[in-house]
Amino acid sequence: MKSLSPLLLRELRRMASDPVYWFCMVLAPLFCYVFFTSMMASGLPDDMPLGVVDNDRTTTSRQLVRNLDAFQQTRVAACYPSVSDARRAVQRGDIYGFYYIPEGTTRKAQRQEVPTVSFYTNYSYLVAGSLLYRDMRMMSELVSGAATRTVLYAKGATEKQAMAYLQPVVTDMHAINNPWLNYNVYLSNTLLPGMLMLFIFMVTVYGIGTEIKQGTGRNWYMTAGGSMLRALAGKLLPQLAVFLLMGTLCMVHLYGVLKFPCHCGLPVMIGIMSLFILAAQGLGVLMIAALPTLRMGLSFASLWGVISFSISGMSYPVMAMHPALQGLAWLFPLRHYFLLYVNCALDGYEVMNAWPYVAALAGFALLPLCLLGRLKNVLLNYKYLP
Amino acid sequence: MKQKLLKYWKQSYEDWNVIFREELRNIFRDSGVLIFFILVPLAYPLLYSFIYTNEVVREVPVAVVDADRSATSRDYLRRTDATADIRIAAYCANMEEARELLKHREVYGIIYIPSDFTSRLSRGEQSYVSLFSDMSGMLYYKAVLTSNTNVSLDMNARIKVARAGNTTQEQDKVTEHPIAYEEVSLYNPQNGFAAFLIPAVLMLILQQTLLLGVGISAGTAREHNAFRNLLPVSRHYTGLLRIVLGKSWAYLLVYIPISVYVLGVVPRLFRLNQIGAPHDIALFALPYLLACIFFAMTVSVLVRHRETCIMLIVFSSIPLLFLSGVSWPGSALPAFWKGFSYFFPSTFGVNGFLKINNMGGELTSVRTEWTVLWAQAIVYFLTTCLVYRNSIIASRRRFIARYRKLKARKKA
Repeated sequence: MKSLSPLLLRELRRMASDPVYWFCMVLAPLFCYVFFTSMMASGLPDDMPLGVVDNDRTTTSRQLVRNLDAFQQTRVAACYPSVSDARRAVQRGDIYGFYYIPEGTTRKAQRQEVPTVSFYTNYSYLVAGSLLYRDMRMMSELVSGAATRTVLYAKGATEKQAMAYLQPVVTDMHAINNPWLNYNVYLSNTLLPGMLMLFIFMVTVYGIGTEIKQGTGRNWYMTAGGSMLRALAGKLLPQLAVFLLMGTLCMVHLYGVLKFPCHCGLPVMIGIMSLFILAAQGLGVLMIAALPTLRMGLSFASLWGVISFSISGMSYPVMAMHPALQGLAWLFPLRHYFLLYVNCALDGYEVMNAWPYVAALAGFALLPLCLLGRLKNVLLNYKYLP
Repeated sequence: MKQKLLKYWKQSYEDWNVIFREELRNIFRDSGVLIFFILVPLAYPLLYSFIYTNEVVREVPVAVVDADRSATSRDYLRRTDATADIRIAAYCANMEEARELLKHREVYGIIYIPSDFTSRLSRGEQSYVSLFSDMSGMLYYKAVLTSNTNVSLDMNARIKVARAGNTTQEQDKVTEHPIAYEEVSLYNPQNGFAAFLIPAVLMLILQQTLLLGVGISAGTAREHNAFRNLLPVSRHYTGLLRIVLGKSWAYLLVYIPISVYVLGVVPRLFRLNQIGAPHDIALFALPYLLACIFFAMTVSVLVRHRETCIMLIVFSSIPLLFLSGVSWPGSALPAFWKGFSYFFPSTFGVNGFLKINNMGGELTSVRTEWTVLWAQAIVYFLTTCLVYRNSIIASRRRFIARYRKLKARKKA
């Protein structure tokens, strides 16, 4: 076997001389790692602004507002004189929702006339809306309970008796392996590898596409001694080395530095990450082989890379998508990576429990072997049309 | 004097016209630019909306371990099964079995009813139902939690009424809820994913495709023109304002129909929220487009090759979406990133569009965003002029150097 060194040297020289490689392989992924994890560093958004319309103006209503403010996620940012004013504040984006206590609430409650309080949540901001909804609903239940509890205590009930009367059935929620509902754990674990994958797609396409565009394909092929397999290995190995380093860095950052749940241990996740990187490279080769102009190949890579985030099911579950999309999701490596991460790091099951996804990633990684003939043909016969 | 001025204006107008037409011709002749100016804005919103079109996740499969096996526990389970959020996919004999199903992702949650569920209730003590949820997606958690909370609260109310021994319906009502409450979902009544995410994506698509298209056409210009110059050397490409305005007008002309489609037609196709006044949206979109165009033109000087800009810009879409404060609340954005987000028109464009289109705000409710977008448009217009000016001067220098060199060679 002839040595690969002239090929590797040629590739390293190309990579070192083009700033685009530096940007896409090192700088931009690092930026993304820092960006997403520092943006969601608090885990759950705290102190989100909420408005109050208190037309009752009694000690009871003020107590309610104070209690609402005491919730971790909620901050009572302002009191508004009327619902219309509060609605306008929602439209301006000052607050994500408001709590409305109509005039006479306390009086009616004491007379047992069943007053109604209401809360308005702006679900245009889904995360903020959902979290505030939870607090406001809990508050409403507590208010109702507090009124009854006072009566029960007055009748001489113990606290235990009162609670059993107020809330006979209690639900006890367990969020398995992410008990803090940490959004950083929930999103960054897939966003970071997803960004890396996008860059791998692009760099792989760019590496081969520039050879075609600049007409150096024949030279590349000849340096490899007329073997497409060797040519491809010479091109992809240096890139692979950098990406493996970046992938390991990502895993160390997530599980070593930020201490996200990782029940399978760091080495297993680095292994999965490495397989994922190989899969992304394999798909990248397919992209440029299918559309052998640089800009079409890159457009393909961008489309696939960006859609991956949605179709991987990391935020919106795949099971809620159209059946056609559920099938299509198999063609996205990020989907498999996501399921493997959930299986191994988050839930701590053995890798074999999720073997179909390992197989799928391996399939992507082996794709280039089926494309050698096509690539050779493209390199030697394809004329670049600007 | 007057004649001279007239001639100057006529010349300027003619140059502007030539540059404008030339840029339009470039756009429509270059398939690379066309992909980003026409194809992506046309197709991408459809694809995205299609992915999220079901809005919410329904009937999440859960497993049940009913150790109590009483009429009350079965009643509880029947009621949870009847909610829209979850579906009982399996009744398991014990937790081990349920956990196995969870492991194989056949269910996404477990409801466990302990054996003393009914006896505790009968004794007048609190009974506990344990819920477990897979945390690979927040929506699974939400589905399990919401359905069980609703059912348990409803059941609590009925138990309370039964115990109270009231005589009238009015008394029952008071017992259930001494203070009733009402929840109102504003601007996204189905709490859906598409209604919240798609409008932001639509606005972002406008900015990103402009960045890509303008970048590609700048890259092409550099590859075609002599000495890798951004602008061709020609009689018409002289006045700075003419060049910048001529080019930006061409982009604006292309993007007006695109914006109408993206902001007006797509939400209608997928029945997303669309309660803003069309003229407010139009008045808001104008500074947004201008800010994006000049921002794109400023950035485009960095592009040396056609394809580089794809590699530099595409990835930014995801961070920019998060910076706009739609998914991760803007109020929780760290100050540094908040400041960083002010550089991009999309931050204000997305929020302003949401406020008008989704929340039915008027132009006054987006006063801040509107003003900032105009400010951005002006600032980026000035930076565009600056970088184009530098580029023109640099290209002239190169020409003169080349001319001198040739002259010297001729002499020799």
